[in-house]
Amino acid sequence: MRVLVVEDEAALAGQIARTLQDRGYVVDRASDGREAWYQGGVQDYDAILLDLGLPVLDGLSVLRRWRSEGMLSPVLVLTARDQWHEKVAGIDAGADDYLSKPFHMEELLARLRALIRRAGGHASALLSCGPLELDTRSARVSLQGQPLVLTAQEFKLLAYLMHHAGDLVSRTELTEHLYAQDCERDSNTIEVFIGRLRKKLPAGLIETVRGMGYRLQAPDDGAGR
Amino acid sequence: MIRFSLSWRLSQSLRWRLLLGTLAGLVLALVAAGFALSGLFADQAQRQFRSHLQLQLDQLTAALEIDAAGQPSLGSTLADPRWQQPYGGLYWQVDAPGRQGLLRSRSLWDSLLRLPGDGLPSGQTHEHRLSGPAGQPVLVLERQVIWSAGPSPSPSPAVGARSTGQLPAAEAAPGSWRLIVAQDLRELEAAQRRFDLTLAASLAVLGLALAAAAGAQLALGLAPLRRLQRAVQQVRVGDAQRLEGEFPAELHPLVQDFNGVLLQNEQVVLRARQTAGNLAHAIKTPLTVLANAAAQPRADLHTFATLVDEQVRSARAQVEWHLARARIGGSGVPGLRSPVAPVLEGLLRVMRKVHAGRELRFDCDWEPDTLAFAGESQDLHEMLGNLLDNACKWAHDRVAVHAHAEGRRLLVTVDDDGPGLGAAERERVFERGTRADERQPGSGLGLAIVREVAQLYQGQVRLEASVLGGLRASLELPLA
Repeated sequence: MRVLVVEDEAALAGQIARTLQDRGYVVDRASDGREAWYQGGVQDYDAILLDLGLPVLDGLSVLRRWRSEGMLSPVLVLTARDQWHEKVAGIDAGADDYLSKPFHMEELLARLRALIRRAGGHASALLSCGPLELDTRSARVSLQGQPLVLTAQEFKLLAYLMHHAGDLVSRTELTEHLYAQDCERDSNTIEVFIGRLRKKLPAGLIETVRGMGYRLQAPDDGAGR
Repeated sequence: MIRFSLSWRLSQSLRWRLLLGTLAGLVLALVAAGFALSGLFADQAQRQFRSHLQLQLDQLTAALEIDAAGQPSLGSTLADPRWQQPYGGLYWQVDAPGRQGLLRSRSLWDSLLRLPGDGLPSGQTHEHRLSGPAGQPVLVLERQVIWSAGPSPSPSPAVGARSTGQLPAAEAAPGSWRLIVAQDLRELEAAQRRFDLTLAASLAVLGLALAAAAGAQLALGLAPLRRLQRAVQQVRVGDAQRLEGEFPAELHPLVQDFNGVLLQNEQVVLRARQTAGNLAHAIKTPLTVLANAAAQPRADLHTFATLVDEQVRSARAQVEWHLARARIGGSGVPGLRSPVAPVLEGLLRVMRKVHAGRELRFDCDWEPDTLAFAGESQDLHEMLGNLLDNACKWAHDRVAVHAHAEGRRLLVTVDDDGPGLGAAERERVFERGTRADERQPGSGLGLAIVREVAQLYQGQVRLEASVLGGLRASLELPLA
């Protein structure tokens, strides 16, 4: 999952980025409004954390610009201004949720997970696809009720596919959402991990669409949502 | 320079504006009066002068005698001594046809009055302005007299005219004469000048007196303003808390409003001080605990970390509580009006978005649409936001919001179908928020803030069981 963290206070931005990276998120950072606006426009993020008090261009303006340009990623607003009329302004500008500073990292992670789930159309914290179940809160996958042991890379890949179960997911999309920009973007790497996942999963769960990408699909029903 | 300073004074000073306006009016009125009076006097004086001269002409006509040879002479001497005095100012002359100055007054000495030779019907008088014997301007009256016959001259032009009508042909030689009198105009002019001078002097004195009166009136009228200024100054330097003293009715609203602002300001400052004090206190206590813990290095790291975490939480909770209280708006300002519908709609947009993951159903009903709260919109946001947020947090899947007016009160209820609170718990939630100093921030922060704001507006908030099965929060506020 690729997340954009927009925060001008370096210490806090660093803490958030480290926490997210520890949980397997790919994190991009922006420290002012203009940079954030640009990044959000050129990259497809699974979620964006946006501080409202930003230099150059304030957070609400960035948000309004994104939304007017058709940017659809869920946005979690971080703000020290937590009066209700300000929350109303934030939501009306296009935010999906808000979190008042100071906050606990656990709270931030929970809100972020919920946002990403909701953006994928999942109402519950428990995602399932056929015999597979992903608990987004505990980051555990089980197959037919039995815990499935996965490496970090395998988990990231499977989690993304489960959030977009039934959808066709291209290799480029996987690379973009799962790896940081400075990592080597080799689609072969994806193929390797897909191969490893397939060995741990029932056959036919991950379908290869030739020349296009992959699709995670429950064997019985067409769409596994 | 003068124009600049004048316009500057005009724009800066009320006194100068009033004074200049009054003075301009005054000068205009006096000048107009002066011209009118002078004109009136000139008119009157000229009329009198002319009628006097007319009288002289009549006397001359009466004194004229014609002998048998048809030669005119003056039967009796004319009374005025000026006739006799050379260039005395009053002149007469009798012209015969073809012979000017046949008879004339001694005052003419050796000069003549030269009249234009216009033919004049008998008996009528003509008026001329000429240059007199000494070159001075004179007013001249002339009359044509036609002598028909007899030793006695016609005493009046009317008789003369009649005589002309019945002219007996064979009697003493008939003739016609021009009788002329003239008077020096300088007398009239001197009188006019004297009058004008006196008039100007009296008007000037009158103008000065009026200007002084206007100045005095201004000083008297503006005195309350100066008093007001002094009162404001006393407030500014701290000698007084309010504008004090007696002020005229026109200044009362200003003084009252100003005192209102002062009072409000005082309260704001007081609250700011209290908040600063409370904040300092809220942070100092955990800081002290932390400093003490740091000074005892025997404790192990885990215990220390727990302590730090506890104290930071406590400080944070305190800071949030005091900040939330500090943000509560003015409420002292009369005439505020915040429509309820937009606030509720905005908050519901937030709730729908934030609780999008849970399929919450909102029943909304506010009647009428123009419902408004008599207070600041931010405060209404704060109260309703906290109540709605609570309801959404605890609700199973239904939240109901109703707002309506009851007399002069605005009633808003927020219901949820969550687990609700027992009667004792409901009391406890509010007991936490009754005394400022004992109030502890924590789980009840939202509701405590709602109560705090509501009380500031002489409103109240109550918790009771909801028909939906959960909790109902009722908020009662002043209606705008």
